[in-house]
Amino acid sequence: MAVLTAKFPELVAAGLPQNFFHNRKNPDCVQSNGAFCVGWAVDNFHTYVGPALKQATMVSVSVAAGFAIAMALALLSHRYGKLVPPLTGFTGILYTVPSLAFFALLIPITGFGTETAVIALSAYTLQIIYRNIVTGLANVPAGAKDAGRGMGMSSRQLLWRVELPLAVPEIIAGLRVATVSTVALATLAFFAGAGGLGEKIYTQLNFKTNIILAGGLAMLMAIVFDGLLVGLGRAVTPWRRHRAPPILEALRRLRRSV
Amino acid sequence: MEASNSADAAAEALPVAFRRVTKRYPGASRPALLGLDLEVPSGEICVFVGPSGSGKTTAMRMVNRMVEISEGDILVGGRSVRDRTPAQLRREIGYVIQQIGLFPHRTVLDNIATVPRLLGWDRERTRARADELMELVRIDPELRDRYPPQLSGGQQQRVGVARALAANPMVMLMDEPFGAVDPINRERLQNEFLRLQAEVRKTILFVTHDIDEAIKMGDRIAVLREGGRLAQYATPAELLMAPADDFVEDFVGADRALKRLSLMRVADIDLWQAPLAHVGQATSEVRAKLPGAEVPHALVIDAERRPLGWLSDADLLGETVPPRPDTRPDPVLELDDVMRDALSDLLQAETRYAPVVDADGRIAGVLSVEIISEFLTSPEALTEEHDAAGRPLV
Repeated sequence: MAVLTAKFPELVAAGLPQNFFHNRKNPDCVQSNGAFCVGWAVDNFHTYVGPALKQATMVSVSVAAGFAIAMALALLSHRYGKLVPPLTGFTGILYTVPSLAFFALLIPITGFGTETAVIALSAYTLQIIYRNIVTGLANVPAGAKDAGRGMGMSSRQLLWRVELPLAVPEIIAGLRVATVSTVALATLAFFAGAGGLGEKIYTQLNFKTNIILAGGLAMLMAIVFDGLLVGLGRAVTPWRRHRAPPILEALRRLRRSV
Repeated sequence: MEASNSADAAAEALPVAFRRVTKRYPGASRPALLGLDLEVPSGEICVFVGPSGSGKTTAMRMVNRMVEISEGDILVGGRSVRDRTPAQLRREIGYVIQQIGLFPHRTVLDNIATVPRLLGWDRERTRARADELMELVRIDPELRDRYPPQLSGGQQQRVGVARALAANPMVMLMDEPFGAVDPINRERLQNEFLRLQAEVRKTILFVTHDIDEAIKMGDRIAVLREGGRLAQYATPAELLMAPADDFVEDFVGADRALKRLSLMRVADIDLWQAPLAHVGQATSEVRAKLPGAEVPHALVIDAERRPLGWLSDADLLGETVPPRPDTRPDPVLELDDVMRDALSDLLQAETRYAPVVDADGRIAGVLSVEIISEFLTSPEALTEEHDAAGRPLV
């Protein structure tokens, strides 16, 4: 981390809050860098709101863009099966690029700022989302597809009426993983000049209250996003809501068959 | 309601003709189906049966162009299946597959409404038709808004059939439709389906690997052998009594005579008549009837012509016919009994003759093992038979 802060000294200087060592209620806690200084946290919470919202926006935009691109790629490879291995490889390679290197590579092209961060972050989501859409489509029961075609659905009708709806659970699962990891990764977006909670974390890396507060907000953000996606998944898959736990379902079947 | 009735009237069952149909898959050394040439009359069930690799499913799937024809042609109602786009064609042909293939994300109603919606029917007509079909295949209307995973296997199967019937197809294709159901439910579903067919009278192409199912469900059976060649195309009775070659004989099984008997009822055979005796009648009159009778024993009946028992030699020595003859009339068979079960009863009872009664219990004739074996060697065994929907349900 020392190397990083040395590389971006101006950021470190700019990010220091003015009242860093001046706390009204419990200066001792701050002075001794206690585990969590509640007073300080309450006093300074408002300075975290902006970066948190910035990060939430960045995550939403990145995942949405990643989803759009991954969906396009997945539909293409659903049509042309030969594309699956190269596209899996391509998105996989993107995923292996170290994030800071990615920023460094992009900064000369797209400049220092949010755009660079969003490009890199959405590139990271491609692998997971793409793979889940492809898997989801591949896991649609063969019988349902055969029946759909056999009753006279066109490929397009089959895709929109049968295949995509049945792939929704897998797609949502991919979005959840991608979103949660993007929240975590977005704290590094600060190094691309995009701000966010990373700005708070890396400028006061030794102050425990700051780390807990900023880190906690990032975790909370991940949980909220995840919850929203779970809710969305439930809303668009009403047929899965009716499923009782397996054991109850087994008992019900048993009773029915008698 | 009116709309769906007019659809019923409009869609008649149509015959299906295979004209030297061959299917070659690219890269395969042998054709999957070779020069299949047969006609399925409208309103009949034609079963394609054979071991795996005999091309039975391929043959069926070429009718709705799920598999494209390599050579030859298939005519539905005299019109080539290649006249229309596959999608148009498929919407006019019912399709039921082994996995049933219900859409798990759609309710029972929405599943049944699949083809009507593809055809652009309005809401009301679609709904009315779905209700009508649920009644026809005996699905509780309460299940309308359930999802397929919440249904039992048998219920799912019925929904699959209702879905295939939704737009009143002129032809139905069924690929091992009962394959995924347990044996007890399978039998029930088969019987239900035959009852349904008696009502709807569709032309049905039915694929199975199970010869017993083929014999039970088929008005005609096409036995296919490896290499996609037709071994025999015949009615179940012909297939059982006159297999074309060793392959078919082997395939229908060593118990083909018994299978033949399970296709008929006792009423289908010419019964023998025994001399009848009334309680209190003089035995001399009865004795006079015995020489030359088909059955050499006299049967005692009551005032309602119900059999009471056989007269023994000791009984005949008395003055009059006793009200309780020595030999009980066991077993008593009914005209509606399946012949195979009747034979089993005869064999088990260690008796040569069994009285047969009608639904009211009145004597109709006598059945013996000889009658059955004579029937099986006679030409009638080849021809005399019911269509699938009218057969005893065993």
